[in-house]
Amino acid sequence: MTEERTRGGTAGVGAPVVLEMRGVTKTFGPVRANDGVSITLGRGEILGLLGENGAGKSTLMKILYGLYSPDEGEVIVDGERAEIKDPKDAVSRGIGMVHQHFTLIPALTVAENIVLGAEPRKGATLDLARAIRDTEELSERYGLRVNPRTRVADLSVGEQQRVEILKTLYRKARILVLDEPTAVLTPQETEDLFSVLKELVADGLSIILITHKLGELLGISDRITIIRDGKVVETVEAAGTDEGALARLMVGREVLLRVEKTEAKVGEARLSAEGLVVRSGAGAKAVDEIGLEVRGGEILGVAGVDGNGQTELAEALAGTRPAESGVVRLDGEDVTRVGANGRQERGLAYVPEDRGTKGLVQDFSLSENNALKTYDEAPFSKWGWIFPKAMRRRAAEALRAYDVRPPDPDARAGSLSGGNQQKAVLARELSGDPGVIIAAQPTRGVDVGAIEFIHRQLLEQRSQGKAILLISLELEEVRSLSDRIAVIYDGRIVGEVGPDATDEELGLLMAGRTGGEKGA
Amino acid sequence: MSARLRRALVDAGGALVFPLIAIAISFVLGAFIVLATGNNPLTAYSALVRGAVGSPTAIGRTLLGATPLIFTGLAVAVAFRAGLFNIGGEGQLYIGAITAAWLGVTLASLGALSIPLVLLACVVTGFLWGAIPGVLKARFGAHEVITTIMLNYIGINLATYLALKPLRTEGLVPGTDAIDFAARIPFIGLGLGRANYGFLLALLAAVVAYLLLWRTRRGFQIRAVGLSPGAANYAGMGIGINTVLALAIGGAFAAVGGGVEVLGVYGKMTVPFVTNLGFNGIGVALLGRNHPAGVVLGALLFGGLASGAQEMQFSTDVPLQLTNVLLAVILLLVTATKLVELLLGKRARALAGARLEKGLGQ
Amino acid sequence: MDEIFGAPGQLLASTIRNATPLVFAALGGMFSERSGVVNIGLEGLMLISAFAGVVGAFLSGSAVVALGFALAAGLIFALIHALMCVTFEADQIISGTAINLLALGGTGFLMVSIFGSGGTSPRVEGFGEVPIPLLSGIPVVGPALFSQSVLVYLMYVMVPVTFFVLFRTPFGLRLRATGESPEAVDTAGVSVGRMRYYGVALSGLLASLGGIYLSMGILSAFTEGMTNGRGFIALAALIFGRWNPIGATGAALLFGFALAVTFSAPQEVIPNEFLQMIPYVLTIVALAVFGGRAIAPAAIGKPYRKE
Repeated sequence: MTEERTRGGTAGVGAPVVLEMRGVTKTFGPVRANDGVSITLGRGEILGLLGENGAGKSTLMKILYGLYSPDEGEVIVDGERAEIKDPKDAVSRGIGMVHQHFTLIPALTVAENIVLGAEPRKGATLDLARAIRDTEELSERYGLRVNPRTRVADLSVGEQQRVEILKTLYRKARILVLDEPTAVLTPQETEDLFSVLKELVADGLSIILITHKLGELLGISDRITIIRDGKVVETVEAAGTDEGALARLMVGREVLLRVEKTEAKVGEARLSAEGLVVRSGAGAKAVDEIGLEVRGGEILGVAGVDGNGQTELAEALAGTRPAESGVVRLDGEDVTRVGANGRQERGLAYVPEDRGTKGLVQDFSLSENNALKTYDEAPFSKWGWIFPKAMRRRAAEALRAYDVRPPDPDARAGSLSGGNQQKAVLARELSGDPGVIIAAQPTRGVDVGAIEFIHRQLLEQRSQGKAILLISLELEEVRSLSDRIAVIYDGRIVGEVGPDATDEELGLLMAGRTGGEKGA
Repeated sequence: MSARLRRALVDAGGALVFPLIAIAISFVLGAFIVLATGNNPLTAYSALVRGAVGSPTAIGRTLLGATPLIFTGLAVAVAFRAGLFNIGGEGQLYIGAITAAWLGVTLASLGALSIPLVLLACVVTGFLWGAIPGVLKARFGAHEVITTIMLNYIGINLATYLALKPLRTEGLVPGTDAIDFAARIPFIGLGLGRANYGFLLALLAAVVAYLLLWRTRRGFQIRAVGLSPGAANYAGMGIGINTVLALAIGGAFAAVGGGVEVLGVYGKMTVPFVTNLGFNGIGVALLGRNHPAGVVLGALLFGGLASGAQEMQFSTDVPLQLTNVLLAVILLLVTATKLVELLLGKRARALAGARLEKGLGQ
Repeated sequence: MDEIFGAPGQLLASTIRNATPLVFAALGGMFSERSGVVNIGLEGLMLISAFAGVVGAFLSGSAVVALGFALAAGLIFALIHALMCVTFEADQIISGTAINLLALGGTGFLMVSIFGSGGTSPRVEGFGEVPIPLLSGIPVVGPALFSQSVLVYLMYVMVPVTFFVLFRTPFGLRLRATGESPEAVDTAGVSVGRMRYYGVALSGLLASLGGIYLSMGILSAFTEGMTNGRGFIALAALIFGRWNPIGATGAALLFGFALAVTFSAPQEVIPNEFLQMIPYVLTIVALAVFGGRAIAPAAIGKPYRKE
């Protein structure tokens, strides 16, 4: 980035402070989500709030918006101590929030969504005409193009976000909080959003932008506050820092922790797909003509921004979601019409991205979970009966081997920490000595110790000649484990690179820009 | 091993939190109602208890009342384990009753041998009838709560039609022919009054339900589907087939309950026939936390209250309908998660592990 | 034709009479379910109000007092449902079932306590027919539609009123939004709990009008279990009418027609029991065709818990 950065705000720290949060602490059980956090926001400023998932950014903002009440600390708006007990108080203080998961009502129109809770009235009736007029006015003024009469269900994600912003503006928000606004946007939509945000601050609004994407923040914010483990690490001027410095502050260690890896001894193709087309639950084409091949003894990483078809790809390969067209082969055999059970019996292991709702039955015991796929095979079953004792015995071995704590086959899966749950999934999937492993986001929401354990296990499987497909949103993970990296964008594999590819190369591919066909 | 025992005890204790609170509040409320009628609650309640367990006849009456409720309770519980609400016990029971009323007469020449055959037929008709909402859900996404409610009235009307038209007998009371005593379920005797071996069949049904859910592949699948459809799908289990089977098996239980009522108690199907056994089965199942053993206990409580009510009405002037109010209040409160939290704090609630927060939207 | 359906005027009048309690209860159910609270307790709400109305009339001899009793009973039972579903986060389906059983058990208990025996209450002065001048003079249609009880006329009024409230007022917008997405309503600063209480309370008031019409409009006494599934038919009408006031009213009229035919058709042609199945069968067919979920309020049945 050599060009002069155009910052959002005309004002910086020098501007009058519109919002201050002082010494905010919030605990959930044993977890300190916020620990004495203080931030300030100047008028006409864009403040970036940066931190890893679970660092406490969202908690802080939910406190600001009255969704949580803090254990300690205070909120000062326009120099006045503000008691914010619920969103209503926040709104009356001129605070607006755009949540990561939109709070729109698909069955209602844009205008109805916008005025909900602050409806214009004509006598006792709802003045819909005025609602539409007001919406049109606002959307014109800030370039938030959207038709007020359309049902929200018929809008694109980018348009829905505009409606969310319009909702806050309709309520005369002066302080706007956006929680991970770009997570769901295409690069083009992100650019549009940022230009709208610049309009807004030029108009005197102040904005807090929550994200864990470093690059974006540098381009748009004036100052950046970094939060780690519930504490403010530092607040820096965006102009005086760079991605590397921010990353170090955010993670608290050098990011590039390379995993020791032996040379790959690549064998035959074990898992392959040709022309694979898969539809999402909503019916959209989520995987669009993907072809790939994973050979024994190698890890093929799939990198990409969330929501580009990773979930559907993994599910179609594992057999839990039907493929619309194309072929999936396991050790040369066409298994496209074979269900998940059949593929598992043919030696396919699948670590799903969501252990909470897919990988484990939370209210089953660990022993039942360990037999979730093999409950119908010997020694767990015969003639339709199942044998809990055998399940328990086998589970006890597996749990010890994979260091699951507690190694108690009778413990409820849901009572374990995320890392131990994931180890329990690995114990089940890997102990059957599978030939092919699909690991979708195997370390999401898992503590550092478990991450290392899981990485070691995957590399161990690799050295045993297994074929591993690793799908992950964590670029660093993909890079350090994979032998080859395929980049997925909008349901297609847009390029393949080696693990030594630069950030820029990968970043461009992940943004869908292949081989300079679209100039950056 | 002792850790497992301790866990089992804690689980059981936790499971009892909701039912005990519901029962306690209901009885306190009932005491005020008794007071309002100008009676002494202690007198009324002691008469209630005496009428439920005070003598062999009383116990027999309790068992008699509990029998159909065990069946309809299991009908709800099995479906619930698959994450489904079976509100259709009422209609399923009627389908079983009319099956038994018809075949009981037709096969009466076989004597006692006809009993298992008739009950087997109830299993079949109940299974098929119960499968209807399952298919409607699996195939068309029609919610089982609504379809089972609607099927109640369709089933009741169908059974009523059959009892009043094709199978109608001559006589004062409208209904089917009486089944020969040789082809009915015999009384237990032992001074237990009219209690019949149907109660033992109900206990057997509870054991079958337990084995089915916790000792068979199908039960493993049903429970997995109920607790986590996502994980069940991930593990390659069919959601649709398990939906159909869980409701169908539930239907079979309720239908056998209807058959046992006909073969053991009434000897025929009259119009009107028994009411609210299906709906009360919901209360029984929830009180028993959808576990077969709990269902038996819940049914005994319900049966005992109904039985004791007669004694209560006899010794005081509290109308016996009071117990229906108490049962309704119990059902009203037995899923009130927040109430338990307010009374006992969050930890107790977590211990109770209320997995009842699923609703129509699931 | 006439032998099945009777005289057209009579049949129309009977259809209106049979449909009136269904329309009231279905409109009531709509307020509850649009706010996200399933109400399978309509049957019980009608039953308790039918009883309370008769008690009011018995004690005072005044139809106005009777109406007050009925409304109060419906409201109280509805508030119990709301307390369970909204405040105590109980399961809505269970609570609704319990409301039905409570009304059944409660009326049985009170029948004995107040009137000394179960079965049927003493006769009370019901709501008589009040012909509307001029309109009731229209041939065939006039006597059928405009020579009815005031409660029937109230029903005519309630249909457009419900539509208006639901789709043309801020309250209606909030109510619909609450049933679709309580999270969105909450973040918009509107209390989800309060909206749901309103919705359920309205369902109690409207269902009580249906209840009192049964005991004091059609009959002049209370009989135990007299709703006899009408609450569930109303629920069916609500679903068949796709949670829309006009649709639900249409469905209730259709089901009322089926009930009217039940009473007039000779048994040899179509057995009663099959006619009585019509509402339930149609609802199941409708659910199978629409797929059930796509049309119900999205958040229906789910307790809303703030984090």
